[in-house]
Amino acid sequence: MGEFLGYEREDGSVGIRNQTVVVSTAPYANDTVERTAEIVKDAIPITHPLGRCQTKPDVFQTYRTLLGHATHPNVYGAVVIAHAGEIVDGDELAADIAETGRPSASINIHEEKGVMNALDEAVDAAREMSQAASAQRRVPVDTGKLTFGINCATSDTTSGLCQHKATAGAAWRLIEDHGGRACFAETPEFFGGEEELAERAVSEEVRQEILDRVAGWDQRLQETGYDVRGAQPTPDNMDGGLTTIEEKSLGALVKSGDGPIQDIVDYAAEIPDHSGMYIMDTPGHGAESVTGIGAGGAHFMVISTGQGHTLSNPVMPTIKVTGNPHSAERVPEQTDVDVSEALVGDETIDWATDQLWDEVMEVVDGKYTLSETMGESQFAIHRIGPST
Amino acid sequence: MADRYLEVVEPEDNVATALRDVEAGETVTVAVGDEQREIEVVDDVQFGHKLAVTDLSDGDTIRKYGKSIGNATEDIPAGTWVHVHNVESNYGRGDLAADGEGGGDAAASAGGD
Repeated sequence: MGEFLGYEREDGSVGIRNQTVVVSTAPYANDTVERTAEIVKDAIPITHPLGRCQTKPDVFQTYRTLLGHATHPNVYGAVVIAHAGEIVDGDELAADIAETGRPSASINIHEEKGVMNALDEAVDAAREMSQAASAQRRVPVDTGKLTFGINCATSDTTSGLCQHKATAGAAWRLIEDHGGRACFAETPEFFGGEEELAERAVSEEVRQEILDRVAGWDQRLQETGYDVRGAQPTPDNMDGGLTTIEEKSLGALVKSGDGPIQDIVDYAAEIPDHSGMYIMDTPGHGAESVTGIGAGGAHFMVISTGQGHTLSNPVMPTIKVTGNPHSAERVPEQTDVDVSEALVGDETIDWATDQLWDEVMEVVDGKYTLSETMGESQFAIHRIGPST
Repeated sequence: MADRYLEVVEPEDNVATALRDVEAGETVTVAVGDEQREIEVVDDVQFGHKLAVTDLSDGDTIRKYGKSIGNATEDIPAGTWVHVHNVESNYGRGDLAADGEGGGDAAASAGGD
């Protein structure tokens, strides 16, 4: 059992960052959110095109995703900015954030009689949180409190042979040696490997749920009337040598290792507070799956990439690992950990796992990831149905 | 001595992943399980791409990780580059569903070839 240095929260969670987020509830508040975050030191904007004219399943999903980020373990406090009366309600969101013990503020552009007044209020609220957050100190915490997010990005044929093995090794080290949790996602990227994956479920119920969700995705894709190739695998996957979604999937599943699966949870749902490996049911679309896992509360994410990727998240640091020596050389800014010596050199997968684990633990204690040094973050909520 | 840069994951696989650029005309030795197989390379195969390690016929299952990654859409002799031009998927085939041929049934095809 190890320890890391984290920020304790009133709700019992522990953060590896101490962020102030400024959250938009609708597209018409996005500019005010961006401007607020530009002015206030360390404030992070969360914007999106949703939150209005959505059907109920999408409203719930949008709300859950926003709340999950605003109450993420790495978040100190949140300023919510709404445009007007929206189906994703700003006051309700701010109240739910406050229930976790986090400072929160709700600002409504209509009620403030315009953007300039709203901006004034939002900047004041965010400044107060940012300053208070800066005064909080890290304290030693049990490593078992951590949740390890896992995602792949621009996979190629090196992914399943090298970096995904290191990723699995590091994730299972957190689970088995420290009692932590891990979560991977991207259900359509189970195609072709779902039977073996489902066999790893801890119960018959979970086994069947995995198979049903995979079949549901295949059905949804068939209903489009088109061959999914081009969308899965993507053109960059195919450039990297991946031929079909099955090949991509069988490689992708390597990053989950071969241990038991505790459960498969809904998109953006909270990852259960019990040690083990979990699945979140998300599309393979990286920005959407990473956003889902961010909402679920993973403290950090290892992004196991073939060709390199900018993929990142507003509140969850992303550590990029590749085993492709050409990618490590081409995009060093997207290569936190280069384990290619385990693929084309004389090193082993155990060595690669150690390299990745060591970097993860440094990031947990506060070292910036490469994405963080460039202030990168993307946020994309998966949609279920139409706008209305 | 097998070429360590031509990786066959499982003994039942019929493709190798090239971890170096391979050129047409090369004779390579590939380890397929315990067997060392000598293959004449037919096409240039770039880093990360695959080549057949056995003669495959149109419709044959392409195997990697010991499982199906799709079907050959033409005859693929050993040493040939195996990619999107000669392999099709069994999943997400809305095009087949639209043609009334039925798409790949996820549960059914997963356990099969």
